[in-house]
This record gives sequence, C-alpha cells and structure tokens, in this order.
Amino acid sequence: MQTAFLCLLIAVPFLNEREISIVTGTLYAMSFGPIDLTDPLSGLQVIMLTLSATKPLIISMLIPIAFTFVFGRVYCSWLCPQNLFSEMGDILASRLHIRRMFSVSPTPRPRWAMLAVVLAGSMAVGFPLASLISAPGIISLQISTAVFDSTVGLESALIGIILAGEFFLLRRFWCNYVCSVGTTLSVFRCQKTLKVRFSEDDQRKCIHCGACSRACQFGLDPMREKIYPLCHNCGDCIAACEKSTAGRNPLKFTF
Amino acid sequence: MNKHFLRPPGSRDESHFQASCIRCNKCLVICPYRSIRTGTLFDGLTNMGTPIVEPRKTPCYLCMKCPPVCPSGALDTKLSDKKDVRMGTAVIEKKTCYAWQGTLCRSCYEICPLFDEAITMDHELRPVIHEKKCVGCGMCENVCPVDPSAIIVKPTGEK
Repeated sequence: MQTAFLCLLIAVPFLNEREISIVTGTLYAMSFGPIDLTDPLSGLQVIMLTLSATKPLIISMLIPIAFTFVFGRVYCSWLCPQNLFSEMGDILASRLHIRRMFSVSPTPRPRWAMLAVVLAGSMAVGFPLASLISAPGIISLQISTAVFDSTVGLESALIGIILAGEFFLLRRFWCNYVCSVGTTLSVFRCQKTLKVRFSEDDQRKCIHCGACSRACQFGLDPMREKIYPLCHNCGDCIAACEKSTAGRNPLKFTF
Repeated sequence: MNKHFLRPPGSRDESHFQASCIRCNKCLVICPYRSIRTGTLFDGLTNMGTPIVEPRKTPCYLCMKCPPVCPSGALDTKLSDKKDVRMGTAVIEKKTCYAWQGTLCRSCYEICPLFDEAITMDHELRPVIHEKKCVGCGMCENVCPVDPSAIIVKPTGEK
C-alpha cells in the first residue's frame, strides 16, 4: 500500500509533464479530477496567517479531516512516504542490531510543543513554516521538481537528516515526536475512530506474549498503555498478534 | 533577503502571497509553457518552494490556467480576464533602450499582449508604458534585443 502510493507520487509529475492532469499536486495539496484535497496543517497555516478562509480551501481540508475522523492517522501509516522510508530504515537498523544513542518513553508532549512552535513561528515570520519542514510535502515536491526543473532542492537534505537521526540517535523520532502534519491529524479523533484495542471478551484471549509491543516501531504497548494520540494505526501489532496467537487475534482494529 | 520575485498571475500583494502560498507546486505543474520555476534555498528561506516567474527565460503567456488550481487562494482563483492580472509593471531603462537612444525598435510594442494599450509608441516612436494597463507578464522583457533587457517587470509589491 505504501509502496503503491509512493509510485503514485512519482508517476504523477511524469504524467503531468505529458499534460495528463487528472491527478496533480503534491502532498501539500492534491487534486483527483475535480476533487481537491489540502493538507489540514497547510490549510490551517494559511487561515491563521491571512485570517480568512475561502470556501474551496475549507472544503478541500474537510475531506482529509473527515477521513481521519473515521480511520485515524492512516495517512501517516499508509500514505506518507516519510513513514515508508523511516520504517525501512528501522527494519535495517534492527537487522544490523544498531543501538540508538537515546531512548525515551513514548509521550505526546514534544509533538504538541513542536506544533505550537511551528504555528507561533509562522505567525512571527509571516509565511507557512510547516511547509518547510513537512517531510511528505518535501518528498513529493522534490519528486515534482526533479521531473519539471531537472534539479533537486537542498531541502531534500532534511529527509537525510531525519533518517540519519532515526538510525543513530532516537528511534522513529520524526513521526513520533516532531512531525506537525501528524500532530494536526491526531486532533481529529473521536470515540468512534478506528483504533487498535482489545474488547472485553478478547482480553481473556491475550496470552501476554508481548509480540505486539515488540512489533511497534514507536515503542507503544497495546496491552497496557493508552496508545493514542501517538499510535497511527499501522497495524504492525495486529499482524504480530495474529502470527503469535495462530489466528485467534485478541488484538483488533475496531471502531 | 528582500528581493521580490515575479509571481504567477492572480497574485497581488507579496505579503499576502507569502502568507498563503503553501508551496504545493500545482501552479508550476499546470503551466503549459513552463514559465514557473520553484524557488530554491538560494532564493531565500521565505521563497523556498514558492513559484517564481523569470520573464527573460520564459514569460507568462497569460493562458490563465494557474489561478483556478491554487488551493489556498495565494493566486486569486476567480481571476480569468487577462486584463485584470497584476503580476507587476514593466519599466523601461531609457539609457539602454534602443528606441530611446535613437534607433528604431518595436520589439516590446509588438509583442505586448495588450497591444497598443499597455505599451504605446510616442510621437518619436519610443515605447511608453501605461502602468495601469500593464499586467506584468514579461513578454516584453523576454524579447528585448538588448542584453541585459532594457525593459524589466517590477513585481507588484516591490517598491
């Protein structure tokens, strides 16, 4: 799924270059035919900076927001190319038995702080700072720039810095503690949002093997902890549980 | 880094543009003439990722395809009439312009899409710009035979 989406991100600029413009845009804003989608954080920044919001902008933000209310942050786990790169980096690191320099217990506080810094900073400088540090935005934009301008901007270096930091310093820190795009999305959550959990009956089926928390790249423990808003519904824990309990899966996605 | 760049049609005031451009690239992608390029880090942190038009390389041909695709309203999405575009205003450098120095030249006058309105010829066949009509597309800057161009578009917002 993630690879398929990355292929889409690569294919779109090539198609646009040949004037096939059914799908156009980057992960800041994309159009599928007549349907426009805008990244909620980018839209929020514009609204805050211009103190106005056009109807098309609001509608284009509402679709990803509604989607997130239903499915949770699956944009992060299934669509975002940075997540794909980071996950692959993490798998490589565990194969090579790399020990990171730091480790922290998962907490959402740095994310909220980062979001506040980005929003406040944007107001101070007068332009959307989030656009400069949105990893999925940068990746999709650079693909587009490479196709159209035949150059790649220096901001691509940020991706390298993120991956290196996650490899050597702190596991999955960008997605887990920094990324403001994901933090904005994590606001749109309700009782009925898709989540990973045990139901009452299934609790008894849990054999406390710990496969789920070992599988979680963010270091979350579905057996014990409150895993939201950090969890982005990637489903690795559920897949691990299915394997470990030979199909009895007490851990499930539920609404 | 206060240099102002020429923005795609539909843009007006640069501070509004800076605040509302989400650097999404959709205008660049839809432009059939490749007149728009993406700002790089060397253009300044505030301009990184934003659309820039360089008329000397490729001017805007006023096809008006970009304003409707802008998701955030940095380009006025309702703009459809070429005459209402206000990307900038052309300014003639009289010391280097051939016509103003005595030769006959009609390059800018002839290419201007608002023919005989934005640029007119005076009684001595020298081009004169009518700021209120000039949309700032840069076709004149593109064809000027002088190097560097004797007619330059000053982006809206640059004092």
